Amino acid sequence: MISLSGLTKEFPGGVRAIDSLDLEIADGEFFALLGPSGCGKTTLLRTIAGLETPTSGNIRIGAVDVTRLPPGRRDVAMVFQDYALFPHMDVTANIAYPLRIKKVPRAAREAKAAETASRLSLSELLGRRPGQLSGGQQQRVALARAIASHPTVFLFDEPLSNLDARLRLEARTFLKRLQRELAVTTVFVTHDQGEALALADRIAVMSAGRIMQVGTPSEVFQRPANTFVAAFIGSTPMNLLPGRAENGALHVAGAVLPLPPGVREGPIVYGLRPEYADLTQSPPLGRNDAFTGKVAVVENLGTAHLVTLESPSAEANHLLQVVVPEGEEPGLGTPAWVTPRPGRALLYRDDELLTSA
Amino acid sequence: MNTDAAGLGRGRAAGFVLPAMVLIGVFLVFPALWTIYLGLTDYRLTGLAAANPRVVGADNYTAALGDERFHRSLWLTVQYVLGSAVLGQAVLGFTIAWMLRDRPGPVKRITEALVLLAWILPSSVVAFLWIALLDRDEGTLNALLHTPGFAWLLDYPMPSIIVFNVWRGTAFSMMLYGAALENVPPSQLETARLAGASTLQQLRDVVFPAIKGHVLTNLLLISLWTFNDFTTFQITAGGPEGRSEILPVYIYNVALRDGQLGFGAAISSVVLLINLVFAFAYLRLLRGRREAVTS
Repeated sequence: MISLSGLTKEFPGGVRAIDSLDLEIADGEFFALLGPSGCGKTTLLRTIAGLETPTSGNIRIGAVDVTRLPPGRRDVAMVFQDYALFPHMDVTANIAYPLRIKKVPRAAREAKAAETASRLSLSELLGRRPGQLSGGQQQRVALARAIASHPTVFLFDEPLSNLDARLRLEARTFLKRLQRELAVTTVFVTHDQGEALALADRIAVMSAGRIMQVGTPSEVFQRPANTFVAAFIGSTPMNLLPGRAENGALHVAGAVLPLPPGVREGPIVYGLRPEYADLTQSPPLGRNDAFTGKVAVVENLGTAHLVTLESPSAEANHLLQVVVPEGEEPGLGTPAWVTPRPGRALLYRDDELLTSA
Repeated sequence: MNTDAAGLGRGRAAGFVLPAMVLIGVFLVFPALWTIYLGLTDYRLTGLAAANPRVVGADNYTAALGDERFHRSLWLTVQYVLGSAVLGQAVLGFTIAWMLRDRPGPVKRITEALVLLAWILPSSVVAFLWIALLDRDEGTLNALLHTPGFAWLLDYPMPSIIVFNVWRGTAFSMMLYGAALENVPPSQLETARLAGASTLQQLRDVVFPAIKGHVLTNLLLISLWTFNDFTTFQITAGGPEGRSEILPVYIYNVALRDGQLGFGAAISSVVLLINLVFAFAYLRLLRGRREAVTS
């Protein structure tokens, strides 16, 4: 288990990269640190590794307080974004390097390197230098080096971001299976929410050195705790529309929607994922809980289209985005109506999640 | 492949290069050839042989190679190059660059400025500073150490000029290694640290393999410069009794003080030969490296 308590890292000049952060990561968990660039996620990973010294707070790995231990004595292995392979050593020497530092005899460490390499289908490449390997192969050598040293914790810094798009999906599946098999606690940093959702058991969404939400991928996706997480998670950004709870109903962007029980009157933010709404090209019969607008943009997503509607009402001139299945996209400039699916919208007040609607 | 990218044509291209070729010819190639010619004569600064030099063949060379004073001078030069350039400037320069690599701005800038100052001051100024520092009666060093009357330059002439040259020339190595260290990927160093590597292991496994080319270039340049360095003449003039008479000083003393220009030219040619051997060895090493990289 990794536990962080009151962890703060302030850089010279007063930048707080991590701001009194508390977090527990369970044994064997695949844990993602997710956030926009500059949110402190990489600094947090480096602080766990011991490459940065925290200004205050504690880091425990298992039962050991490692806050003041040098990186080499924390029993962690890190895979860097650029893989950090030693260019003058062949694959065997690279994989065996941590063992060499630990004074494992040559024969034993080369056997270990060969064994790890075969597990990652690198056996053919043992004699090559990193410069003679493709990006995907280099990434697997870096993984093999981390695995061969049998650490208690793996730390991955954007491990997939230097691969091209096709390879990245393959590597993602491979990485997930590998982590399941090894069952070693793994913390990885990514700015790609799709990667975090796909790989992690749990995700911490970070912003400005603080954790905005910790949860499983479905918790973070379906019930973002605040508007930051709501806007950050999702391949198409969530619609966040200002509205009011008034006279037992929700007034949002010209639509009147039923008010879920327990919501007091006052201003709210109405969050609706573009995937959780249906678009029709005529007003839905006998209902007034639909948004309406003119089609302003249609973007092709492959198997679906992302339609952007311009609301006609002058007091609430908002854009609303909806995902429409293939073949059902409306023409530009035509009027359209959007009905949210019941229970899928989220209501926020003072930036905190109230309830779903 | 079109090799005439500028579209000048052979004739006009040659016209652009010609002035440089003339300068190199007049000031570099001709004096070198002239030195070789003089080395074969008994040319002197004054007297009969000055007006009417005779070609004496290899006499100067055989005399030099059998000369005790030349042997001693060569040995002193080896000490000077190894002590002040290889051990002194390169090692100290690297150490400073390594220690400054992640220091905050002001510390780094002030140290660099101080080290650079020793390098950019004119050599006569620097020589005078060191005479003032090491002077027997009024010297700063004796005042600091409370050792009045201690004659550094008379009792320890070689250590004095070696320390002097380390002080004077370390800036170049420091800057070169400072730039080289910026090319060492931090993630590789951090990987070594995470594996538990000590500083020495990090240097051996990550830093030196990455900056090998820089080390080679640095050692060649500072060895050649130090081998040909004449600044110490202004401090000890080769004395006392030739105990700090490194080759450039020896040549000067023989050729201009003793007036044996022919003999001095012969020794100059030997020095030129040694320099060429250095340079060729370096080029071979560099080519070997490049082939190793591309293969």
